[in-house]
Amino acid sequence: MATMNAVLFFSFLLFAIGCAGMLVRRNALVMLMSAELMLNAANLNLIAFARHSGTVTGQAFALLVMGFAAAEVAVGLALVVALYRRKDTVNADDLNLLKG
Amino acid sequence: MNGFAAGLWESLVSGSKLIWPQIFLTFAATVMLWPADLFVEKARKHVWAPITMVILALTGALIYLTEPGVGFSDMYKVDGLTKGFQALIVLAAFLAVMLSQKLLDALREQTVEYYALILFSLVGMLTLVGATDLMTVYFSIELMAICIYILVAYLRDQNRGVEAGLKYFLLGAFSSGILLYGMSLVFAAVGGVTTNLAELNRLLPVVPQSSSLLVFSGVLMVLVGLCFKVAAVPFHMWSPDAYEGAPTPITAFMATAPKAAAMGAFLRVFGTGFAGVSSDWMLPLSYVAGASMILGNIAAVRQQTMKRLLAYSSIAHAGYMLLGVLGKGVDNAQAVWLYLLTYLVMNTGAFAVVIILQGKGEGERIDDFRGLAKRRPFLAFAMMMFLLSLAGIPPLVGFFGKFYLFKLAVESGLTTLVVIALVTSAISAFYYLGVVNQMYFKEPADLPEGAEPEVLSTGMTLIVGVTCVLTLVGTLAGPWLVNTMFRITWI
Repeated sequence: MATMNAVLFFSFLLFAIGCAGMLVRRNALVMLMSAELMLNAANLNLIAFARHSGTVTGQAFALLVMGFAAAEVAVGLALVVALYRRKDTVNADDLNLLKG
Repeated sequence: MNGFAAGLWESLVSGSKLIWPQIFLTFAATVMLWPADLFVEKARKHVWAPITMVILALTGALIYLTEPGVGFSDMYKVDGLTKGFQALIVLAAFLAVMLSQKLLDALREQTVEYYALILFSLVGMLTLVGATDLMTVYFSIELMAICIYILVAYLRDQNRGVEAGLKYFLLGAFSSGILLYGMSLVFAAVGGVTTNLAELNRLLPVVPQSSSLLVFSGVLMVLVGLCFKVAAVPFHMWSPDAYEGAPTPITAFMATAPKAAAMGAFLRVFGTGFAGVSSDWMLPLSYVAGASMILGNIAAVRQQTMKRLLAYSSIAHAGYMLLGVLGKGVDNAQAVWLYLLTYLVMNTGAFAVVIILQGKGEGERIDDFRGLAKRRPFLAFAMMMFLLSLAGIPPLVGFFGKFYLFKLAVESGLTTLVVIALVTSAISAFYYLGVVNQMYFKEPADLPEGAEPEVLSTGMTLIVGVTCVLTLVGTLAGPWLVNTMFRITWI
């Protein structure tokens, strides 16, 4: 069980780094990477516990998540490019037209 | 063929009869994108709107014909809840497409992708309300959300559109990370054996003491992820911006269809999957519901634009609907469905009026409604009915939905929250009546010559007329509505 606790600790660390990145960094590209880090933290849990219990559910889940992460990044990068074309910036603090 | 492949094939064949609506939608949208779009000239892209409406009508028929059942190794289930929410979602999409046609013409932004993306996001939503496995829940939420990120940023030549899309995307990616991490923690807590909701419900209450922290944090994170999707306070910050920056028909769509889908997921995940550990999530969720009602309604008071006002009002409405999740039980799910149906009618009507008035995209300030009763008496009357109905004033249909929901919530012992709901409903009447005041008791602003909007069409008039009539006399259809509502069951 000690190893499982280590996995949980490590994945929590990854998740915390991802969360902190989302909240602290203002560069849209870095925020995108942080979101990926959060997904990978979850993947780590899924794979480790699937291996621990000897079932495949978690591994299938992790594969699916990877596919969706790729799709999400594609859309995210497209949006960042659209923003860069209009405003010459990828800084999230410059998104200040909409307020209230 | 080896055993694994044979089993997979058999499960696909036996399960596929449950997802005919989704299969049909995916197929139709793909054919629309390629090759059908090659044969439509650039000037005639508007034909895609009626075609999409036909596809949606056929999807509705398929949903009606689908037999209840369970498939794909218990990952997807068709029951009364699934079918009821699917019908709502398809109806919302149908209305959104009807609203889109003229506006996109006026903006010269007709493309096939717009309609195809609506259909693809619909596939996600239809699957989401039938999902009985965390895996299905996650991937249908993602499918729905990814399509909607693109639709929000659809007007990519406007700064607001891109900004709204990127904001929504970043917060959406953040929330889906939290949702997935929560799911992985729940999965870890039960020892990594299952993600099925029914199984989880059996295993979660009996996990060893050492894992109870995992269960608690996992359930809480799933709660946060879903609250993002229904835009409940304090996870609502994306919604006013996304609502304002998106093309208005997409705003109308976002306020109804994804919200209905996420509410269906809420009812399913927390009503069946996490029901056994309800002590973990009841208190946080009731705080979220109360905060949504209070903050949504209070923040709406000082809004200057109609779209933001409706955004905050939809946050408040999400708070009311969460009462149904908190109440647990089938009858509360039925009340949520009824509430969503009435909300769909009045909300679509209100957005239709906004679209007609806003013309080519700008000018949706509340000041623009000044003196509307003199210029457009019918529109002003319809708008007044929608707003009063959103405030829940009897005998309009909004009151009917609210009454049912609150009555059941009181019976489930949520008295404090219902008191908050009633007080905030009174506050909401204040800002809704503020718009009515602008329309009826203020002089119209001087409009420059030729500034009359161009988005009036038979379809738009039809939507405003029909939704207005439904808002007025919907309560008379009460017995029928209640009868239909009773079909919203877990099998």
